[in-house]
Amino acid sequence: MAAFGDGADVTVVAGGTILMPELTYGRLQPARALLLTRTGLDTMRRENGTVHLGATLPVAALEDAPEPLASAARHVADPEVRAQGTVGGNLCAAHAAEAPRGDLQAPLIALGARIRSTGSGGERTQPVEEFLAAAPTGRLVLGIEFEEPQAGAWAALDRPHAHDYTALAVSACRGADGSDHLAASGAAPRGIRLAAAEAAYAETGDAGRAGRDAVRDAKFADDALASTWYREQMLPVLVGRALSQLEEAA
Amino acid sequence: MKAVGARLPRYDGLAHVTGRTTYVDDVRVPRTLWTKALRSPHHSARIASLDTSRAEQHPGVRAVVTHEDVPKNVYGHLEALGVPGDEPLLAEGEVRYRGQPIAAVAAEDEATAREALELIEVEFEEREPLFDIRKAFDPGAPTVHEWGPAFPHFGPHDHRRVRKGDVDAAFERADTIVEGVYRPGAIEHVPLEPQVALVVPEADGRLTIYSCTQAMYFSMGVVAQHLQLPLNRLKFVGGTVGGGFGGKVDTASETIAALLAVKAGRPVKWRWTREEEFLASSTRAPWHIELADAVTKDGWILGRRTLTLHDAGAYTRFSSYGLTKHAFHHSGAYTIPNVHFDGYVLYSNRVPTTAMRGFGVTSVSYAVELHMTRIAEVLGIDPFELRLRNANRIGDTTPNLVVLKDPSTVPVMLAAAERVGIELAPEYRAMTSEPRSGELLPEHLAGAVSRTNGKEAG
Amino acid sequence: MNLTVNGVEARLVSPPLASLLHVLREELGVTSPKAGCQQGGCGACTVLVDGEPRRSCLVPLATIEGARVTTVEGLGRPDDLAPVQAAFHEGYAAQCGFCTSGMLIAAHAYVERGGTDERGAILEALGGHICRCTGYAKIVAAVSAAARGDVATQAVEASYEPVPGEPEVLVKGSPA
Repeated sequence: MAAFGDGADVTVVAGGTILMPELTYGRLQPARALLLTRTGLDTMRRENGTVHLGATLPVAALEDAPEPLASAARHVADPEVRAQGTVGGNLCAAHAAEAPRGDLQAPLIALGARIRSTGSGGERTQPVEEFLAAAPTGRLVLGIEFEEPQAGAWAALDRPHAHDYTALAVSACRGADGSDHLAASGAAPRGIRLAAAEAAYAETGDAGRAGRDAVRDAKFADDALASTWYREQMLPVLVGRALSQLEEAA
Repeated sequence: MKAVGARLPRYDGLAHVTGRTTYVDDVRVPRTLWTKALRSPHHSARIASLDTSRAEQHPGVRAVVTHEDVPKNVYGHLEALGVPGDEPLLAEGEVRYRGQPIAAVAAEDEATAREALELIEVEFEEREPLFDIRKAFDPGAPTVHEWGPAFPHFGPHDHRRVRKGDVDAAFERADTIVEGVYRPGAIEHVPLEPQVALVVPEADGRLTIYSCTQAMYFSMGVVAQHLQLPLNRLKFVGGTVGGGFGGKVDTASETIAALLAVKAGRPVKWRWTREEEFLASSTRAPWHIELADAVTKDGWILGRRTLTLHDAGAYTRFSSYGLTKHAFHHSGAYTIPNVHFDGYVLYSNRVPTTAMRGFGVTSVSYAVELHMTRIAEVLGIDPFELRLRNANRIGDTTPNLVVLKDPSTVPVMLAAAERVGIELAPEYRAMTSEPRSGELLPEHLAGAVSRTNGKEAG
Repeated sequence: MNLTVNGVEARLVSPPLASLLHVLREELGVTSPKAGCQQGGCGACTVLVDGEPRRSCLVPLATIEGARVTTVEGLGRPDDLAPVQAAFHEGYAAQCGFCTSGMLIAAHAYVERGGTDERGAILEALGGHICRCTGYAKIVAAVSAAARGDVATQAVEASYEPVPGEPEVLVKGSPA
């Protein structure tokens, strides 16, 4: 943590799956690099109803985590990349110009996760949405924690190939307190909470209504994976699927 | 004939599965320099100024080349066949597609070569690019080449013509005209092995060129012409290609690497990045194909009018050849007695296009097969039966009057129908490739079929 | 920095953030891992790091100090092939060969950890590997054969000159 300091001029190397192409293609020339290998941050603990994820836990290890995180993790890239990429790196991925990244942001939002990070001003723990809204540069993720949900569900557009980023996915979660939460990947530059859909579902219990309201929180864009039009059509469908799976799982 | 029917192991199979196949990038020659190219960031621009002096003085840089270093800068892949060249090896005065090479650097390592690119000073005056070849003839459309929007060397014409029979009469006699527009798009070949060349200047003055080319003698000719070297100064080593699919028919990396190797007096390797491969390597061409068929209500195609626009990209390369193949195959696997075909090779500010798997023919086959199904739908005829009736048979003639000796349309279609479980009527099941007679030789085909059934050509 | 590559210990001079692919190809001359895309997208550079398949283009050298690295050169030799190598050779699962090294490493790891001949599981294990020659049917068949143990590990020396008087069948297991 001392080596990170306030994060200025420090390039953090966790799994390397996002960073290495930047170095290879000469787009990034780090002044200082901080390797998180063997920092002991690669663990998952479940105790007293709380799940603790270390920042360098490989994405592959999340396949044993609660839903919707497990399903989302299983659909990140391919087995080799999942074994190497980390949950912290995926969370902090700057969204690329060509496609939204950070497939795990939405399930963590739906799970109500809290991010423990360090940087200027020292260590702090804050909700994942707040952490992401502040743009995670200058912060080093140490860990992630959330309460075990009652149930979770995940619905996504199929990817044509393992290496495509998620075009659109919806995470649904019934929290320990019985409240339902919805979030989406691919509906905005980063993972977002579908607040209007959550409210509609809480009020009416109508998944169709929740789906129609979901587009209100979206900031769609055309990119190589899908058009705005297609995402607009599909978001309500995926919200419906995720909620029906959630009811089945609960 | 011992090999027929036997399972022969691939002669290169053991090397492939033990990691011992030597691709160009695997050849190791001491003191090899790395190459990077300065590529145009613009689709269309005038080069106002170009200054490489700072790059040349950068430590670790061993050679920098621009158009001034090329003995014969403008050449064409079909020049040996009489098609005038139009493509500069390194851009001179203007750039016509994004990714076009302007200068290249050979340095001690990749990072140094990349740094040197940053030191090349170049000023552009951007121009409006042309992307949609349908607008190429519009007044005021952006100009790609000063001689006009189309490749001008199809004999006396600026387009490829095919004329057979009397199309006007066919359209007058038709019960229905069926029209369609078909637009197969560009496709990047994406070989897993990117473009790569290694050029070694030998003590005897020869250049040994390790090449991933699919077309060794084309590449040899292209390098010899640009560098103005006799062929006996070039030793090409190739044959092991990490995927090509037509994309390695164009000579892409050998010539600039050779130029740098000569200037530096050192071995030079140029391996493109995947991004360069997508940005600047040639693609399959996008095509615009308009078909209009004169048909009878009982399912005969009396005539076809075709207009094809072929997007060459910024330079001709093999486009005129591809369009000619396209023209000769534009009736598909079917016999049409009266055809009128006009096809244009048009220039755009896209990356130059090239061969890919059935160069020129795949595009027209795509259009023709969709069109046959459309005709069947319009007429309410089974699409298999429509195709079988019009299918090429011995003695039928192609659009360019080749008499067919052994067409395979009928047996292939019958086999396909059987495999997918389509029940054909007995008279269709009994069809063969034998010369037309009886009901399959209607009056409108009588004059179009060779009386010798192709035997004279044998 | 130290690595053990195909059983041989190597002391390395590459910088800490050099990719394992760069170290293998440019420093050690181990060329079976291919630089197909250098951004983790094609699979052709896949090697085993401590027995697990990894994209060598994405692995910074400093993160694997002291690791055991195995490439296709280390899986088997022409006269002593690993089961997946024999299966690929017998089943014509290598076409241009450029993806083959990465495919073999992923397939080897899959078979070694007890993977079955179930198609879906094989597709998942090879999901990050592109064969642009589109030889997937033969590749999947070869991995299935290796998973079943249905391969002769002593491959016949390749010969494309038919020998007079010899039987036509030159690959073991082919129909007589």
